[in-house]
Amino acid sequence: MRRSAILAAFTALGIAAAAPALAQGGQMTLQAYAGIFRDNYTEVVVNPFTARSGTQVQYFDGGTSAQMLGRLRAQKADPQTDVVIMDVTTAAVACAEGLVERIDASTLPVIGQLGEMAREAGGACGPAVTYDHLVMVYDTRAVQPAPTRWAAMWDPAQRGRVAVSAPPNIQGLALTAILAKAASGDWRNINAAMPRLRELAPNVQTFTPNPDGYTLILNDQVRFATGWNARAQLYSDQSQGRIGVVLPEEGTAFQINTINVVANAKNRAQALAFVAHALSAEAQKAFTERMFYGPTNPNAQVSQAALNRTALAPQFRERIVGVNWDEMVRLRESWNQRWRREVIAASGR
Amino acid sequence: MNAALLLLPAVLILAAGFLYPVALLGRISLNRTSDIGAMEPDLTLATFEKVVGDDFTWELAWNTATLAAGSALAATALALPVVLLIRAAPPRWRGLLSLMAIAPLLVSGTARIVGWLAILGDQGLINAALEGLGLATEPLRLINNLTGVRIGLTESLMPYACLVLIAGLGRLDPRLEEAAATLGATRTKTFLRVTLPLAAPALLAAFLLTFVLGVSAFITPRLMGGGRVFVIATEIFDLALETVDWPAAAALAMLLLGALAVALVLRTALTRSARA
Amino acid sequence: MTHLRLEGLTRRFPGAAHPAVDGVSLQLPKGALLALLGPSGCGKTTTLRMIAGLEVPDGGRVLVAGQDVTALPPHRRNMGVVFQSYALFPHMTAAANVAFGLEMRGIGRAERRARVDEALALVGLSDLALRKPRQLSGGQQQRVALARALAIRPDLLLLDEPLSALDAKLREGVRDEIRALQQRVGATTVFVTHDQTEALAMADLVAVMNEGRVEQLGAPEEVFERPATRFVATFVGRAARLPGKVEGPGVVRCGEVALRFSPSPVHGGGPGWGDAAGTTVELFIRPHHIRPLVEGQPADNVLDAQVLRRTFTGDVVALECATPAGTLLAELHGGTRGASAAVGSRLRLGFAAQDVRVFPA
Repeated sequence: MRRSAILAAFTALGIAAAAPALAQGGQMTLQAYAGIFRDNYTEVVVNPFTARSGTQVQYFDGGTSAQMLGRLRAQKADPQTDVVIMDVTTAAVACAEGLVERIDASTLPVIGQLGEMAREAGGACGPAVTYDHLVMVYDTRAVQPAPTRWAAMWDPAQRGRVAVSAPPNIQGLALTAILAKAASGDWRNINAAMPRLRELAPNVQTFTPNPDGYTLILNDQVRFATGWNARAQLYSDQSQGRIGVVLPEEGTAFQINTINVVANAKNRAQALAFVAHALSAEAQKAFTERMFYGPTNPNAQVSQAALNRTALAPQFRERIVGVNWDEMVRLRESWNQRWRREVIAASGR
Repeated sequence: MNAALLLLPAVLILAAGFLYPVALLGRISLNRTSDIGAMEPDLTLATFEKVVGDDFTWELAWNTATLAAGSALAATALALPVVLLIRAAPPRWRGLLSLMAIAPLLVSGTARIVGWLAILGDQGLINAALEGLGLATEPLRLINNLTGVRIGLTESLMPYACLVLIAGLGRLDPRLEEAAATLGATRTKTFLRVTLPLAAPALLAAFLLTFVLGVSAFITPRLMGGGRVFVIATEIFDLALETVDWPAAAALAMLLLGALAVALVLRTALTRSARA
Repeated sequence: MTHLRLEGLTRRFPGAAHPAVDGVSLQLPKGALLALLGPSGCGKTTTLRMIAGLEVPDGGRVLVAGQDVTALPPHRRNMGVVFQSYALFPHMTAAANVAFGLEMRGIGRAERRARVDEALALVGLSDLALRKPRQLSGGQQQRVALARALAIRPDLLLLDEPLSALDAKLREGVRDEIRALQQRVGATTVFVTHDQTEALAMADLVAVMNEGRVEQLGAPEEVFERPATRFVATFVGRAARLPGKVEGPGVVRCGEVALRFSPSPVHGGGPGWGDAAGTTVELFIRPHHIRPLVEGQPADNVLDAQVLRRTFTGDVVALECATPAGTLLAELHGGTRGASAAVGSRLRLGFAAQDVRVFPA
């Protein structure tokens, strides 16, 4: 209440740039992931924003990050969305192509509150809004005792019972980096990861789990899969614990979503206000507690129970492999080829 | 003048639905991609050079052509007895049987693949039966590999082959086979000496159509290949929707389109010279 | 000596109310030509197809030279069939078409060639041996089909409407050719046609079929002159049809006049049926049996007539005449008496009692 009053005063003084959160009423369009992300994000982030600002938010199902990028490219001359949430690797492309706005703490003070990694993730454009991380998911009915390491997927008894998303999917890239780090101390060292991946290959049922690894486990098709923590946690809850989620001892890597204001957005003021809200401690806390995405705003006072289900819990900190996605994108093509020639070709099915 | 006017809607639809997107694709293929994947406007053939110069492209082309040719051949060969059966059936049954042969076209590709999973999966119908009968201890790997894609693609191409053969063999006078029989030809001889040679143009047409469809097939290789089957269509998908390298995706798509166009021209020339 | 014998041959198509062929029995001597004559749907083609083995009978037997072939598939029957559409193999030359049956019999190359040449020479097509069917005229295709059927030296030659696909002009010539050829090679032949002229001109025996049954089997003259049933009388040749009532033995009242006829066993209802006075009947009188009479010239039946219509067709003048018995059609040769009668003029017409056919109505 008091804060908005101060902001109102700034606006009155004509310092519009500093007061985006105040934009009252109007409407805007948010482009982000569909499905359970949409359901939960709408409930705990979008709706409170609308209640407070009076701004109507259209939530547009963007599909995958690549599809969202495609839409931004196609609508470059006449953008139909104002804010976009997508994967950091894709966002970097959008940033480089000028499809999203360059933004920093001077435009949006809340950015100053974010952690260093969150600020750097977006480069010159929008910062990280959620952290997710690679997990191993498994069928708790079929696998006992509960596994704690990626190595469980290597068990010869699991032949044909593992689903792994291969590169260019980022799950495959992340898994490779994790194995490289575990084997050599350097996540970039693909030579160290390759022997382990080749050993895994015979156990793999599919390298393109469809629709996803969680569903394949629930359909009894596989017992292990790679997955993203947030969705895995939700599926775990929804399946009454059928799906087990492990942050393996060998390590994990972050998947980062950044939030951006679309270049030449029609509702820029509302868009900036929404971004500010999405990055606020309050929204970050709410979304973490709802869907177990790691908060990017360290001020978020997340409950211990929720925190323990993210990679940010203290006991997991040292397991995080510091993958630099900017660098990863440059390595991607060669990793991709090595997977195809050495891993998938060796999977012998 | 009037005829030209009647063609106008078709021309407009073709222009809007095909020519414009292809032109757009062609334009994108001339752009450049930066090392982080950003598309930079340009007018360069560099992407084409990269794609054509990459051994993997030729591997993809080979995979695509052999998969499509094999599946088209199998689909055509399997459709032939089906269509011969339909042809031999009493006239009042023919419509219904023809409908049944092409009914799979009414089922979405994804739904069909879910069905195949239940049949071909490691715990699917076939493996359960084999295991139950004690014929196998290890499941036969029938899906998420090339075998699975071959099976799925063959099945998905069969209705098209049936459609072409029903039309083609419908014109084949059954009296010809009767004449062969009265001249002393057994069923086998009749088939080999009369039915098959006369069905050849229809078989070729069915093969070519299913081959072209097989070359551009995406859903089956993607969903039944388990990530082990690399064809041009899946690569275009990966380039467009995983690595967002649109120029490379567009260049590959243009090359595929060009190859199909060349094949079509050759085919037309071939049939024309055969007719002359 | 009987070469072909059909015994109670029956075929019932599923879903059809009546059998397509209903107990057909007949015998054909060696070397003879039988015409199966009837309207479309009478079962003549189905009968032919059962003889060839292309249709499986539901009952009855087919015997060739005393052998029951009913259970044999067509490729083991040794019958030469000429189809209505000829059914030449379009991807083979004329010579290859003719050679096909020989090849199937495992006849060696040299003999095959000789027999193909012979068969093509027989039909006068030696020059066109290497043409494909589509490069041949209809008549030439027909002759290739004939050569193909004859080359296998068939036990039976079966022709299904072989002339129907030809031009009207060609038909007569080809008809005579086929007949001559058939007699030359001595092939026992069954010939299906709906054209009575063809049947009468070519056949040794005519079987008139209707609704799956043989109505009459006999020599062409017999069938034409002494139709056994009302159907045969209607279908074969033309006739004036007059309704009447029997007055006594050999006398029928038609309208205002009594007409005389010679009762005979072939007249439908069996011996003596026509004696019963009061029976309703139909009289058939063929146009060529009617003659104009001079004043006082006697005849079994004499009618006063007035010309209603006159049609000149070259050789023949057709007069449609009103008489007290009903409308009669008379056909007179040009130049004969009465042929020049104008419309409206009056004539006396006469005809013999033996030329009047009477059938129960």
